[in-house]
Amino acid sequence: MREITVRVNGRLSRRTIKDNELLLDFLRDRLEVRSVKAACWRGECGLCTVKLDSHLVKSCLVLAVEADGKEVKTVEGISPEGELSPIQKAFVSHGAAQCGFCTPAWVLATHELLQEKPHPTQADLVEATSGLVCRCGTYNQIREAVAEVSGTTARPRHMKESLARA
Amino acid sequence: MSFGSPYVTLPDFTYHRPKSLDEVLALLKEHGDEAKLMGGGVGLIAFMKERLMSPTHVIDVKEVAELGQVRQVPGEGLRIGAAVSIAELLEGGDLKTEQAVLREALARVADPMIRRRATLVGNLCEAIPWVDSPPALMALDASVEVAGPEGRRSLLVSDFIRGPVDIDLGPNEMVTEVVVPESKGRRSAFEKFTGGSEFSLASVAVSVSNGGKKRAAKLVYGAVNSTPVRCPEAERLIEDGLSPTKVRRAAETASEKVECLDDVLATASYRKHLIKVITTQVLWRMM
Amino acid sequence: MTGEGSVGKPIPPEDTVRKVTGTALYTYDWDLPGTLHAKLVTSTVPHARVVSINLDRAKAVPGVVAVLTGKDMPFRVGMYAGDRDLLAVEKVRWAGHPVALVVAEGPEAAERASELVDVEYESLPAVFDPVRAMGADAPIIHERMEEYKHASVFYPVPGTNMANRFRLVHGDVEKGFEQSDEIIEDEFRISHVSHGYLETQNVVAQAFRDGTFEIWTSAQSPFIVRQIVSEALKVPYNRVTIRVPFVGGGFGGKAGLQWEALVALASKAVGYRPVKLVLSRKENFASSASREGVVANVKAGFTRDGKCVAYKVRFVLDAGAYADYTVNVSRAMGYSAEGVYEVPNVHCESLAVYTNKIPTTAMRGFGYAESNWVLEQVFERAAKKLGMDSAKIRRVNLLRPGESHTATGEKVREDVGDPRKVLQTVLEAIDWEGKAEPASQPWKVRARGFALCVKGPSQPPNASSSAIVKFNEDSTIDLVLGTGNFGQGTTTAISQIVADQFGVPVERVRVDPTRDTGKSAYTWQTVGSRGLFTDGVAAMRACDDAKDQILDLASQVMRLPKSELEVADDAVKAKGRPWLTIPLRDLVFGYVYPNGNTVGGPVIGRGHFTSSLNTFLDPQTGQGVPTIFHTFGGTAVDIELDLVTGAIEVLKAVQVFDVGKAINPLLLKMQLDGGFIMGMSIALFEKIKFDEQGWVTNPNFTSYYIARMKDVPKDFEARYVETPQFDGPMGARGIGEMSMISVASAISNAVFRTVGVKLNNLPMNPEEVWRAISEQKPELLAKAMESFGRIEAAVKARQ
Repeated sequence: MREITVRVNGRLSRRTIKDNELLLDFLRDRLEVRSVKAACWRGECGLCTVKLDSHLVKSCLVLAVEADGKEVKTVEGISPEGELSPIQKAFVSHGAAQCGFCTPAWVLATHELLQEKPHPTQADLVEATSGLVCRCGTYNQIREAVAEVSGTTARPRHMKESLARA
Repeated sequence: MSFGSPYVTLPDFTYHRPKSLDEVLALLKEHGDEAKLMGGGVGLIAFMKERLMSPTHVIDVKEVAELGQVRQVPGEGLRIGAAVSIAELLEGGDLKTEQAVLREALARVADPMIRRRATLVGNLCEAIPWVDSPPALMALDASVEVAGPEGRRSLLVSDFIRGPVDIDLGPNEMVTEVVVPESKGRRSAFEKFTGGSEFSLASVAVSVSNGGKKRAAKLVYGAVNSTPVRCPEAERLIEDGLSPTKVRRAAETASEKVECLDDVLATASYRKHLIKVITTQVLWRMM
Repeated sequence: MTGEGSVGKPIPPEDTVRKVTGTALYTYDWDLPGTLHAKLVTSTVPHARVVSINLDRAKAVPGVVAVLTGKDMPFRVGMYAGDRDLLAVEKVRWAGHPVALVVAEGPEAAERASELVDVEYESLPAVFDPVRAMGADAPIIHERMEEYKHASVFYPVPGTNMANRFRLVHGDVEKGFEQSDEIIEDEFRISHVSHGYLETQNVVAQAFRDGTFEIWTSAQSPFIVRQIVSEALKVPYNRVTIRVPFVGGGFGGKAGLQWEALVALASKAVGYRPVKLVLSRKENFASSASREGVVANVKAGFTRDGKCVAYKVRFVLDAGAYADYTVNVSRAMGYSAEGVYEVPNVHCESLAVYTNKIPTTAMRGFGYAESNWVLEQVFERAAKKLGMDSAKIRRVNLLRPGESHTATGEKVREDVGDPRKVLQTVLEAIDWEGKAEPASQPWKVRARGFALCVKGPSQPPNASSSAIVKFNEDSTIDLVLGTGNFGQGTTTAISQIVADQFGVPVERVRVDPTRDTGKSAYTWQTVGSRGLFTDGVAAMRACDDAKDQILDLASQVMRLPKSELEVADDAVKAKGRPWLTIPLRDLVFGYVYPNGNTVGGPVIGRGHFTSSLNTFLDPQTGQGVPTIFHTFGGTAVDIELDLVTGAIEVLKAVQVFDVGKAINPLLLKMQLDGGFIMGMSIALFEKIKFDEQGWVTNPNFTSYYIARMKDVPKDFEARYVETPQFDGPMGARGIGEMSMISVASAISNAVFRTVGVKLNNLPMNPEEVWRAISEQKPELLAKAMESFGRIEAAVKARQ
């Protein structure tokens, strides 16, 4: 047992934890940050993605104690209170979420990608999201949403080219 | 071998975060068998969830300054500390043309988030057959520096990996660094095939040295057997330079000679075929 | 009605904002105060008598509250086959079979204790191959099958391992073969597939001392869960409340019973505290149900002009240890054998067979995807044998609405869709007549192919749906539905339909995201792409009912006969006299006269849908009307096949479906693209692997690979045909499942058509494709290897 202090989405939290506690469980169970999900618990699906200081990590493979004195950002922390970030807006308008269980991770990952590279190439997107999976298969919509935010396309493709009445 | 987590919580342990190598060694001496070292924790945490490891002490080496460095030591080579993550190593730009094989192998390990956490030493110490860094290190004649109560020792990566998930490391010992020896004029490259899997079904690491009159080639195959396998017969064919014919002969020879296993990812016969494919691919790039 | 309306517009699903902000809560996120955590203990052997279970060590772990075993619940449950136990009773039937449930304070203690349950087994002979399991000498996995409560439409064979034996016969197949000029005969295999929903199966349940149960679960069909739980626990249905918040994917795998009854019993056993069970990914693979494996043997006869005159097929389903839902999959696989074609002579047998492997259940495509894999390849091979274009052979055999009969003898109505137009559109979209693009490398082959499909919802004839339209004080509408929403967008589409019934903006209509059997409208299940159709019709009828109430009141207030009034543009209007109008908000909560007198009250409309057209199928011939609609469609692909590695890359995906009416083109596009990707992933990568003891050897996402961003085609083209269905909601039909059915066949057909290599087994992973090429066309592989090894090519490859 030990006490740790973590800044999560700007708010400082101090909690007593067990040494074997995972950052995933710390965030979900102690701080009730429920946007952070898990689907494999072994670093394959990426649903537990969070930003730890300056990098994205998979929180099912990080001990809570390792976050002591650090800063954690989740999807709750990417946009000002009550507003949607550009990528969140684009996810909505392009229908880039189906069941939604993986969506927070995808939003966070693509948001960070766009912060780092405002005009990512396809290869950049593939690389940045290679650790994430979406079973509903919203990849094409996510791709369109990222393209819209980066200025590659002006409007949702489904409106025109790619879905047509026969 | 890593086949999935029945459990989602970790066994009970005490976490240590030493600041110096001496402290690490003291903790190892005190807890020995009961302790496990943690770099990025990628392998360790997954193994602990599967109860393949249940240490009562976990020693996190990330804040040990001596272990967090990548040093170019003239006359020796590149020394990569145990706490250096794969992402840091790649971003540091220390892996030059000579170590291209390692750079290429590491750049394709899992995904950027895993590479941010995982260390080269950790990747090596897992000794999972499908992991890509061991063949790359073997192609470079890399060695590991081991520290323990009896002092320090150094051994080649090829000797360090004894079998699947089996390394030559005592309970009180630790790997402090990986050393990639200098070799002027060496060229190297890495190739793998992962079709329909996140792991390699077959990988190849090649290096060709041209230090004065002494020429040497190494072809090391990963993921095809329980440990990385060299193919001396094919190596001999490419020692004196490459040509389309030599590439073909080397690829065919390796495919024939390298022993392969069936496992959950692929059969031995497909792996034999893949060896031919990736050897051809990798040697093209060397021409 | 005037105004533009929202039907036909690409409106994003109303719940996406919650999803992108991380505020959509799933069962996984649900904790009640004082929740205990449960962990399964599972069998280590495939088939054995449970001699004893020693709980002493487990119970000694601090924090453990109770450990339950099969002795605490010695009964069988289920929906169709009624063959399931909650925990192993007397014997285990697969390696992974749950034998005990530990309940403790916190997941850690539960996991610790689960490692300490000691089970003694007495091994029994096991059988893992479904064809072997049908043999006379095979060990019997369910000895007391005759005691099981099967639904009447299934035909188990007690004393064998056959859980269901479906037969479909029309015409005389042997006579058909005599008339044939070409015969195609082959065996096809399909591997077990994981649904791979990302939220693993999980449940929170609490029993109460008043005899009621409240259960939160990640389920598709709360009412079926309630039915099974109530029957199992022997309590009236209204004493069990099933609540379903957001659901992290289902794809059929969360359609029946999961762990709800078990966890409810556990809650009772621990003194009525809430209990939560979350499966790990490994448990989800090894201890819950996946899509069955299939061995199919087919013989088809064609005349010289391409007419299929005989089709004989036997499907053997590797149903695993429990086949509660798979018996119905075998039935659907059987009656869908003929697909979009009219074949005069058909003989089909479809058998669900028990083996000592993981249980199996429904999955998106529900038997139709499997039968399509066989049928569409047979047609492609026949085309090649007859020297006929792939499109032409299909035109010859396509069902003709208004004239043809389906495999089950159902007359194909004119309004059910236009398969001919679907085919034509598929061909246009893939530029069938155009020249193929060159491959990117000499050792690669560029190939185009397509496949057609049709599917309807497989549901009992009396399956019904209902809907409630409730007006609020501010004239907003609470649309109360039962159908679940885990990404399909059904509730958005139905909201659009409802909004248009009153001429109000769609934002005025809302569907609560949580389903609750005590509060939601009844619907049989959320499966089979039925939701939009069945619950959509129910919602339209609820609107009619509400309108009727509104018009009654308006007639009184406006002193005009009802027949002269209509609801439009958020108001009641006198026909032809638009200046005589009352806004809806002045009517839907009662009309208040200037002096305060009030007439009427809150308007609540209700409607239901039950098909009066469906029938049981004849036990001997399988003839009858099994589904409420058919959605016709097709998939085309442009692929690049790497002959050297066997890897297939899809460059372009074309999906064409006759949806009747595109209620929401954005939702439609999401389903067509998403369905393609799932279909492609299953086609190219996915296979649950077993060792010689039936253990799942790849229960993780590293070696059970699911398509990722890098695998997604560069080009997607989705087109839709609109042949309105007279009894559908605004003419619409379902689409969710259909969108993945013909993907695998289209890919395989592209390969066969272009290089002549038969790919009989799913998945077509690189090794499988390489093996097929090297066995069937060694010269092709040799040539590819030759060009692959050439320097010029290497230089080119680098550029």
